[in-house]
Amino acid sequence: MLRLEFRDVRITYTTQTASGRGEIAAVDGVSLVVEPGSTVGLAGESGCGKSTLAVSVLRLLPANAKVEGKILLGDENVSELSWGRLRSVRWTEASIVFQGAMHSLNPVRKVRDQIAEALIIHAKGVDAQYKQESARTARVNELLEQVGLPKAKGLSYPHELSGGQKQRIMIAMALACDPDLIIADEPTTALDVVVQAQVLDLLTALVRDRGLSLIMISHDLSVLAATCERIVVMQEGRIVEQGPSLKIMRNPQHPHTQALASAFPVIGDLSSRLKLPTYTAPNAPHAEPGAASVPHESRPALAARDLSVTFSARGSGAVRAVDSVNLTCNTGEIVALVGQSGSGKTTLARTLLGLQKPTSGEVLFEGTPLSHKRKALKVYRRAVQFVLQDPTAALNPKHSVYEAVAEGPRLHKLDGDERDIVAAALAKAELNPPEKFFTAIPQELSGGQRQRVVIAGALALEPEFLVADEPVASLDASVRAGVLALLLKLKCELGLGALVITHDLGLAWNIADRVVVMYQGRIVEEGPVEEVLLNPQHEYTRRLLSVVPTRESPVATAGAPLREQALENDAQDGVR
Amino acid sequence: MSAPAAQGKRINVAAARRRQRAVEVWKEFASNRAGLTGLIILVFVIALAALIPLFAPPSVLDVTQVTSPQNDPPSLENPLGTDPAGRSVLALLIWGARISLVVGFAATLVSMLIGTVVGMAAGHFTGATQAVLMRIIDFFLVVPGLVLAIVLSSVIGPGVATIVVAIGVTSWAGTARLVRSQTLTVESRPYIERAWALGAGDGHVITKHVLPAVMPLVLANTTLTVGSAIIAESTLSFLGLGDPSSISWGAMLKSALDTGAATGGYWWYVMPPGLAIVVVVLCFTLVGRALESVINPTLRGR
Amino acid sequence: MSNALSTQDLVPGDHGTDEPPRASSWLKYTAMKAGGALISLIMVVLLGFFAFRILPGDPVRSLADGRRVSVEQMDILREQLGLNDPLLAQFWRYLTELFQGQLGYSYTYNEPVVNLIATRIGPTVLLTGTAAIISVVLGLWLGQRAAWRRGSLFDKTQTGLALVFWSVPTFWLGLLLLLLFGGGLQWFPTGGLVTAGTTETGLPLIWDVIRHMTLPVITMVAVVYAQYLMVMRASLLEEMTSDYLMTARAKGLREDEVRTKHAVPNALLPTVTLIFLTLGGLVGGAVTVETVFSWPGLGYLTFQALSAPDFPLLQGTFVVFSSIVILMNFFADLLYRVLDPRLRAA
Repeated sequence: MLRLEFRDVRITYTTQTASGRGEIAAVDGVSLVVEPGSTVGLAGESGCGKSTLAVSVLRLLPANAKVEGKILLGDENVSELSWGRLRSVRWTEASIVFQGAMHSLNPVRKVRDQIAEALIIHAKGVDAQYKQESARTARVNELLEQVGLPKAKGLSYPHELSGGQKQRIMIAMALACDPDLIIADEPTTALDVVVQAQVLDLLTALVRDRGLSLIMISHDLSVLAATCERIVVMQEGRIVEQGPSLKIMRNPQHPHTQALASAFPVIGDLSSRLKLPTYTAPNAPHAEPGAASVPHESRPALAARDLSVTFSARGSGAVRAVDSVNLTCNTGEIVALVGQSGSGKTTLARTLLGLQKPTSGEVLFEGTPLSHKRKALKVYRRAVQFVLQDPTAALNPKHSVYEAVAEGPRLHKLDGDERDIVAAALAKAELNPPEKFFTAIPQELSGGQRQRVVIAGALALEPEFLVADEPVASLDASVRAGVLALLLKLKCELGLGALVITHDLGLAWNIADRVVVMYQGRIVEEGPVEEVLLNPQHEYTRRLLSVVPTRESPVATAGAPLREQALENDAQDGVR
Repeated sequence: MSAPAAQGKRINVAAARRRQRAVEVWKEFASNRAGLTGLIILVFVIALAALIPLFAPPSVLDVTQVTSPQNDPPSLENPLGTDPAGRSVLALLIWGARISLVVGFAATLVSMLIGTVVGMAAGHFTGATQAVLMRIIDFFLVVPGLVLAIVLSSVIGPGVATIVVAIGVTSWAGTARLVRSQTLTVESRPYIERAWALGAGDGHVITKHVLPAVMPLVLANTTLTVGSAIIAESTLSFLGLGDPSSISWGAMLKSALDTGAATGGYWWYVMPPGLAIVVVVLCFTLVGRALESVINPTLRGR
Repeated sequence: MSNALSTQDLVPGDHGTDEPPRASSWLKYTAMKAGGALISLIMVVLLGFFAFRILPGDPVRSLADGRRVSVEQMDILREQLGLNDPLLAQFWRYLTELFQGQLGYSYTYNEPVVNLIATRIGPTVLLTGTAAIISVVLGLWLGQRAAWRRGSLFDKTQTGLALVFWSVPTFWLGLLLLLLFGGGLQWFPTGGLVTAGTTETGLPLIWDVIRHMTLPVITMVAVVYAQYLMVMRASLLEEMTSDYLMTARAKGLREDEVRTKHAVPNALLPTVTLIFLTLGGLVGGAVTVETVFSWPGLGYLTFQALSAPDFPLLQGTFVVFSSIVILMNFFADLLYRVLDPRLRAA
């Protein structure tokens, strides 16, 4: 078996910037040992150097990267291998399950040929049998079976498979040449929680059964805790904390680790209910005594009556994205709409916002049906505002913060001084002092600040209700809490109601008053957060809860019952 | 702070940002040596063409006023020799640049206007409007442009305006295709969805978001199109569709062929106009590519 | 769309049930593309008619341009051409004739346009076909090498050369070659398809045609291959940053295998589209090249129709040229579907 050691590794990229040649250290003095048969999780936010470290094991870095220190695979220094030796080491000793299987598979070749390709290249010595096509076919079928796919799936092209299936193909490919070490780089990032659990479960089971070493890279501590014995936390190219998974998850020491861990509140843990590191709601169970709750009247704001949206899908007839939904959201209340991607929750949000026409049923705002006439819609849109998922994409890169926030007031020709309106909105979104941000363009801001600008743009219209679609899904874990705290604060202090769409039950636990669970276009369960999350009634809610940390299992594990169903579910998670 | 003051401040901020961006664009452009060389040569050629009346009055082109012998090889007096009518080829070449450049720019303007408007409409609107526009774009994309231009100009009758229209009408489809795909890309961005949710209408989305995103692309494309328009002009003139009385590079080559200068070995009448076209078109292409790579840094090195 | 809890899709033992229904969607795709091509053809037919009737300019006056023709003679000519009939009646005649395979009657040749085109189409297909094949092979090969060695001397010279050739007017290059190799050095004949009055048959005839073809083909290739080189280079550069190439390298493929097995097949897809979109340009090249080298093809015929001017003939060559390009594009769409599996499922 193979031992992997990083000995004081430093990896720098030479880049051409406006100010001349610059050097950026992506990995800065990392020492780490992966013992044979052990599983190590590498945690950190985007840009912390974890992926660079991963591909350096097989010397797959781009030409402008420079490696210092030693990367020892067994007793060979990877940097000193000859090209021929390097090629034969690749995939036979260590293989990689890449991030985003969507792009890591060649779109114009059948997936089984892509698996077989690795066999052909390394058909030497004991594996010389794979020069014969029959032996290869048998091996590919065996691999497909191991990852839980029928062999007919091998004849597919990547675009014909769902995200989970593609990731299974990547895993089958990684196993093809019986490597000793598997490096999985964010293998489940684009997948739904349920599918994610299935893929992780498959990967860990295979690694365990074969006694392989595994390096799992993720920004998601709960994923790592569920699959690895040990977690290593990286920040800005350095290791800031490492230790056994449970310890890192439950008792993080370094502030950065604490921030990462706070993104995964334990559901049922009252210390994180309606409470975030920077803000605690007055009505939270662990609120400071004396923090008087400001009473806000609660009346129905946004409602859906028997709402259905049907899309005509190519080939398979009509798809009911939203199916007879009845829903009422009140002012002064945060409702979390929870479901997997493809459950119809985004379509529901767009329909509520009047961006999508319903097939039948109606949207009511303060009791009045929403009209799709241009004028009526414009009035409505002042009252109900939208916060989008990815703030980087939701802001025009050419517009300054001022222009982005002023866009709404200009469209609605609001009275008053525009500058004051913008400044007030930015201040409400906690971008202080507002004047400092006026001339900034989005690329000069951090992800969290960008999302605050989007929120400020909505607040500038003084809306009565917010619809937020996965408001923190694209943000790094450490800024997640800040944005959620802002939403909670807006509710508590301004009485601004919100419908927050999310796949993240932890978010619901952190800030929501009520939770609505959506599945296959229908609402299957709804009620106060404590009731639904601590005592779920519907099978689907239980399924969702089984893959996040809860009081019963503080570290999420894809449980045995789930594994049984892995096959049938994953095939359904939709082709994206 | 009073409202007008705020307004003034805002405009200053926007203007400063634009100035800063312009400086950045210029720096990036200037770092592309080929593009910069192309630009310098073009500026020189355009200045020469604009200022030629000061050095050589139009009378030098009058066949009745020539003093030099016909088809005279290059000499000190006539650095590029004379044409079959005894006129200085150098004077013809620079005077010819005027028509060639004007036609190139005018045809490009027509082409860009049609292409941008149709492309943006085809990208922004959906349903029947889009279907019809797409069919029209597709048609003009595949139909042989030169043959259609020949048909148009032979029906309308020869002339400079005819050539401008013929080139403009037959060369816009590529731009439209480009603009449409850029429009679709921009409109698929969430910030458009955000604008809708803020209460925007078609006009706001097109003018505030789509047009600014499309313009740089159109600009770079314009530079590339001027080059091909100049080639198209010379080709149509060569085929005899130009104004027989005006001098352009294409018309010079046509007269070289017609008067037997080409077959008679009078290379000084055949080489200069062709080389002039090659150099000018190449410069436009280099400038256009440099602009493209400034706009889209991922194209660097293409 | 997801339906995560249902079990309809992957029943063990029932393999292949979720294969996309290829046959039916193939038909649909073909029908859609054929419909598009048909609309374009109809537009060509309409344009072929109306461009000559509605646009400002009097065909008869242009016809008489520079000749001494009296007003009476022009009227007689109008009558003969049926230009005095109502527009609709003219259009109806044009359509019915078209359906009988007729494209009118040439003024200058006194022959049906269809016959003229029929005798000229062969040489044009020979010339443009040869030039197209050489350009594609040359352009794609050089393009992919240049992209893979981006920034190298090879890349720089090839890109530079391509840009220069792209800036050369076809007819001028033709003229130069004609002067140098035809007139001056006399290595090649200066015009025509075969030597005038030749009685050769068999191999000597083929050799004669090849000698006549050489200069026109070189001219066309020089101008056309450059575009293909640039497109291939650009799309391969685009592919070179793709994630799946990292996968291929990680698997242990050699760089040349990564290129030929993974990058190039993907880069070919956008290139193929653009090659077919530039077919119209190839036809434009045919007009000028055939004119310079007096190649007895459709392009030269177009030039003759234009200089006469002979409008029925011009209309005929326009309709035929455009139809050929539209049909070729239709076949390109079908080919594209074979090359790109992603289109098959759509």
